[in-house]
Amino acid sequence: MMSIMPLTLTDVVSSCKQNIVSDMGGEKVMLNVKSGNYYNLGQIGGRIWDCIHDPVSVGALVDRLTEEFDVDDSACAEQVFSFLEQLRGEGLLLVNEENKNAANV
Amino acid sequence: MEKQTKKSWQQPQLEVLN
Repeated sequence: MMSIMPLTLTDVVSSCKQNIVSDMGGEKVMLNVKSGNYYNLGQIGGRIWDCIHDPVSVGALVDRLTEEFDVDDSACAEQVFSFLEQLRGEGLLLVNEENKNAANV
Repeated sequence: MEKQTKKSWQQPQLEVLN
C-alpha cells in the first residue's frame, strides 16, 4: 500500500475544481459537489484557495503570501503546510502528477 | 522606495461545516 508523503516546498499543488465557491462576508465558503460537504475556508484560507487555482509550488505560494501578509517565512510555511494537508485530507487538493491527470479529463 | 503595507495574517483553517 502506498503511503501519502507529507508535502514539501517543491511539491506543486492546485485546487480541485469540483466545487462551488462563494464569498460570504469576506470569508470563502465552498460546497464540494462530489461529496456534498460544505466548508468554510475563512479569509486567509480563501486567499490561499485563489492562489492555487492554477498549479503552483508550495514554496512559491509561501513566498507570495509572505509578500502580501505580515508573517515571517517559517510561520507562514508551517501554517500553509497544515492548511494544505487539511485540504488534501478532504480530497480538495491536487498534488504533482494529479494536476496533469486533472488537466487531461 | 515606499514600503507596502502588509495585511494582517491569521492561521488558515479549513472548517468543515451534508
